[in-house]
Amino acid sequence: MLSSKPNNDKVLKIFSTIRCLSRDQLPRYLEGRLTDVEKHLVEQHLTDCDLCFDALQALEKEENTDRYQDLTNKLQRYVHSSIQPVSHTQKIAQYTRKEKNKEHMLVYFWIVAFIGLGIGSVYVMRGHIRNQPPPVHIMAGLPAKDSTAITAASNPPVVTPVDHTTTPAPEATHTAPVTPPAKPVLAAAQKPVDSAALKKAAALKAAQHKAAADSIRKVQQANLLKQKQDSIRKAAADKADKNDDKAKDDDTKGTAKPDNKPAQVAKEQKAPEPAKKESAAALPINSDEYLYKAAMVYQQQGNLGEAIDRYRRLESVSSGKYVELARYQLAICYRSKGQMGKARRMFREVIRMDGSMKDAAKQALDSM
Amino acid sequence: MQQQLTNLSDKELISRARKQHDREAEGVLMDRYSHLLVAVTLPHLSPQSNLDPNVVFPSLLQRLSASLKTQTIYKVNEWILHIQKGYLGKPEKNTPFYPSRDGRDLLHIENTVDKAATNIIDRQDLIVRLEQALQRLNADDRALITQFYLENKPFADLSATTGISREKLRTQLKAAKGKLAKLFMNGYVK
Repeated sequence: MLSSKPNNDKVLKIFSTIRCLSRDQLPRYLEGRLTDVEKHLVEQHLTDCDLCFDALQALEKEENTDRYQDLTNKLQRYVHSSIQPVSHTQKIAQYTRKEKNKEHMLVYFWIVAFIGLGIGSVYVMRGHIRNQPPPVHIMAGLPAKDSTAITAASNPPVVTPVDHTTTPAPEATHTAPVTPPAKPVLAAAQKPVDSAALKKAAALKAAQHKAAADSIRKVQQANLLKQKQDSIRKAAADKADKNDDKAKDDDTKGTAKPDNKPAQVAKEQKAPEPAKKESAAALPINSDEYLYKAAMVYQQQGNLGEAIDRYRRLESVSSGKYVELARYQLAICYRSKGQMGKARRMFREVIRMDGSMKDAAKQALDSM
Repeated sequence: MQQQLTNLSDKELISRARKQHDREAEGVLMDRYSHLLVAVTLPHLSPQSNLDPNVVFPSLLQRLSASLKTQTIYKVNEWILHIQKGYLGKPEKNTPFYPSRDGRDLLHIENTVDKAATNIIDRQDLIVRLEQALQRLNADDRALITQFYLENKPFADLSATTGISREKLRTQLKAAKGKLAKLFMNGYVK
């Protein structure tokens, strides 16, 4: 090992790569015009490179290297001419074209982006509008409420003008209209929107109370008026019919006056009572019933959301059998809506209430 | 540009010609080997053969350019010689160039030597391994390699002392180198 130490680095030389002979190295090697180091490198390369060795052998056979030089020049010139380096202007043109293309693409991109944004915003707006039915419903409900309120409010005036009529005959009609308006109003109120039903009912009650009180007062007023009228009429009649027969006068007074008075007295006592009865007792039940029926109508029409709304309100407001019925119907609504958990809970509540619907609820719960 | 490209290695020029479609790099590569191509082709251009240098060289260059784009080229000189021989032997047929197995062994060792040039530890390791491979070579080959490579003796001296012609000496040297490469590659597992 020690003996080979000086040759240490030279071992690597065996496998070191050396470039092929250059154009002038080839003839110089042939002519022996190389330094020792260069010559050794060339020979080292020649052992590996077939191309160079073949070239060397070929050149050795040639008499002179003129042809070699000539052909090499030609070939190199041919290569140079065929490369055709790309001119600077051409490069600039290419660059500008590329930039233009990029700009075009950018413009297209923005156009597409804006179109996409526009479409998206329209879509979103549509969705927004579509998802806004609650306010629309409220808007639809409000006018109905107002109209009913108006009708309810307009009811008393319908009654009051009667007061100003001085004729005694309308008295008979005065008490009767007090109750009829309640029903149409109620019916009108319950049918379209029941959100206002309760308010209406309350308003109606108040109106009825007022009407009742009014009617009492009116009757008193009317009595006073009538007394006045009678006295006036008497005076007038006296004046006018001074030349008339006393008997006739007596006749008319005897028939008309006694007729009027008892009727008034009877009505005085009758009129307030039915009004009071209807306003106090009949109305709440009626309103519950109407609410329930309206909800049923919704349910039958398939508007389950509205129906559930009604039933809920009924359940929270009223008492007695309507609560149970409302719960039962609520359960059915939930069931048909597919909200089984809620439906089950409702059925259970109905069962717990232990009313008339208990068995039906049990059956329904079992069949679920 | 030309000046810069001429300083690049063959490998770099080939990759430029391929990846960037750089015609200039291709031209520089052809220019670099043009004289060898001419020298190798000269014997075939004798007056009695009907080959015209104005036809032969352009078509040869075209063939080289075409194959440059598709072929795996480890050593440009081998590739050029292969194309040239193929063209002159069977001009109508385009025989693809495959580097030989031995050639790849040699190439591998050459690459490792190249890399070790800057790394002292690798270099020492490589030297030890090469010397061990050299020790296991038969005596004749080892003597030839030591005389030629380590003692810098020219072909002329060697042929004078052994009485063997230069061509034969070269083939012997080449064979010994091949054997050494095989010993280095297979006799040692790193």
